[in-house]
Amino acid sequence: MQFTGSAGMPMGERFAMRRLRHLIWMMIAAVGLMLSASHSHAQQPDADQPGLLADDSFELDPEFRKQVVFYRTTEPPGTIIISTAERHLYLIQPGGRAIRYGIGVGRDGFQWQGLLNITNKKEWPDWTPPPEMIARQPYLPRFMAGGPGNPLGARAMYLGTTVYRIHGTNRPDTIGTKVSSGCFRLVNADVSDLYDHVPVGTKVVVRQKPEL
Amino acid sequence: MRTFRGGLLLGLAVAVLVGAAAITYERYDTRTLKRTIRRGEVFCGVNTGLPGFSIPDDKGNWTGFDVDFCRAVAAAIFDDPKRAKFIPLDANERFKELQSRKVDILSRNSTWSMSREENYDLYFPAVAYYDGQGFMLPRARNIDSALDLNNSKVCVQEATTTQLNLADYFRANNMKIEEMKFAKLDEVFKAYESGKCDTFTADVSQLYALRLNLSKPDDHVILPDVISKEPLAPVVRQRDDDWMMIVKWTLYAMINAEELGVTSQNIDEALKSKKPDVMRLVGTEGSYGEDLGLTKDWAVRIIRHVGNYGEVYDRNVGAGSKLHIPRGLNQLWSAGGIQYAPPIR
Repeated sequence: MQFTGSAGMPMGERFAMRRLRHLIWMMIAAVGLMLSASHSHAQQPDADQPGLLADDSFELDPEFRKQVVFYRTTEPPGTIIISTAERHLYLIQPGGRAIRYGIGVGRDGFQWQGLLNITNKKEWPDWTPPPEMIARQPYLPRFMAGGPGNPLGARAMYLGTTVYRIHGTNRPDTIGTKVSSGCFRLVNADVSDLYDHVPVGTKVVVRQKPEL
Repeated sequence: MRTFRGGLLLGLAVAVLVGAAAITYERYDTRTLKRTIRRGEVFCGVNTGLPGFSIPDDKGNWTGFDVDFCRAVAAAIFDDPKRAKFIPLDANERFKELQSRKVDILSRNSTWSMSREENYDLYFPAVAYYDGQGFMLPRARNIDSALDLNNSKVCVQEATTTQLNLADYFRANNMKIEEMKFAKLDEVFKAYESGKCDTFTADVSQLYALRLNLSKPDDHVILPDVISKEPLAPVVRQRDDDWMMIVKWTLYAMINAEELGVTSQNIDEALKSKKPDVMRLVGTEGSYGEDLGLTKDWAVRIIRHVGNYGEVYDRNVGAGSKLHIPRGLNQLWSAGGIQYAPPIR
């Protein structure tokens, strides 16, 4: 995925740009945090950093790199199984195997489980944070056009009629963590790869860790 | 005369009984738990040095999957994982040493097979780690299935079951290979490293350990295919059922804990749980631990001090270790693998 807005810039300048954007968004986030704190229900600052350009050179931990693994299941090949606790997304293959991708999942209280289908697919999706998300994080933009700085990243797959998506990210460092509002994020290269494998209608099983 | 004969018979009977008892004592030992408690330590036979499974550092601290399992047994009995003493054993002496009671338990990457139970009067209570033969090859070859290895040169250790399995697998799949045979494992490794063969076959856990010694480990992948059965299990002597039960249920408690989401981090929370499965595991319902000859909180001790199965796996051989072996077969049965423990009920 070389589709970055600043691809032509010299390294140093590109880095400085990124730092500057980073700083600006950090300040906006800080103001937003103060605002939401003043509303007396202080929320954790979200890992969403709209505008930040994805660092394509970021190296994932080996645990979260795309790989083919053994996976025994009664679900037919082509099914997606998401394990929230493991932070893995499995695309089931024939012969007791699966392609495994590393993911970021919902923070505590924003995790869920169930059975859904992919109902829509979009490349470089626009982002319209749902009202409940705006209520929690008022500093978020109301709308953001698709592109490399968009927190939804390169691709999005819609899950049922929910507000949840399997999508890319501009924050590859959040793969393996629990930071989202219930969506599942992959690095842009992985989400594009997955996108090419799964048609609309694909069954998605989301599994959560057991409750005590 | 009659009384003399009676006395003789009685004496003979007593002698036979005493003799039989002595022979039985010699062959079978049913007091391992009692001796362990009196001694205050579990004696564990372990590998002399196998990264991820059992290896001592320069200060003599042991780490590894097999080592942690033994600590779990010690924790169940003594509420103290440090009450496990590690006795390194070579491959060829390990079963004899267990048989002759030098150790209470063998936790030493040993494959469970029928002949081993028969020939040494031993018992493998439950599979701790499903290993098996696999393949390593350069990532650049972009192959992700063993079925794509037709016409490959395969590096393999000579005169091993590994070599036989390799031949069987390729014959069964109508594929041709060229075997590159070497007497010793490090010769096989060197041949692979210098590019003499397309792929290297050995047990998967071994391949992950050997990969660390390559100059660029990341440039090599281990295929998810496992072509043989190498179920690694702890070993105990036959006919000491009380001890066998403790070893078996220590492992099952760890697997059940993972399935129920009970970890070393949330064990105190688990003690307050109202979920029946969790209550039976942590001993807030039932007397499962006492029936084992231990305490109600036997499983809590294991989980608190050592962790559940997944924690032990990750720390030693999985995501949290240098080896990075994917869970694969060793994932829980409910999450894509085959690790399955009978319920505590």
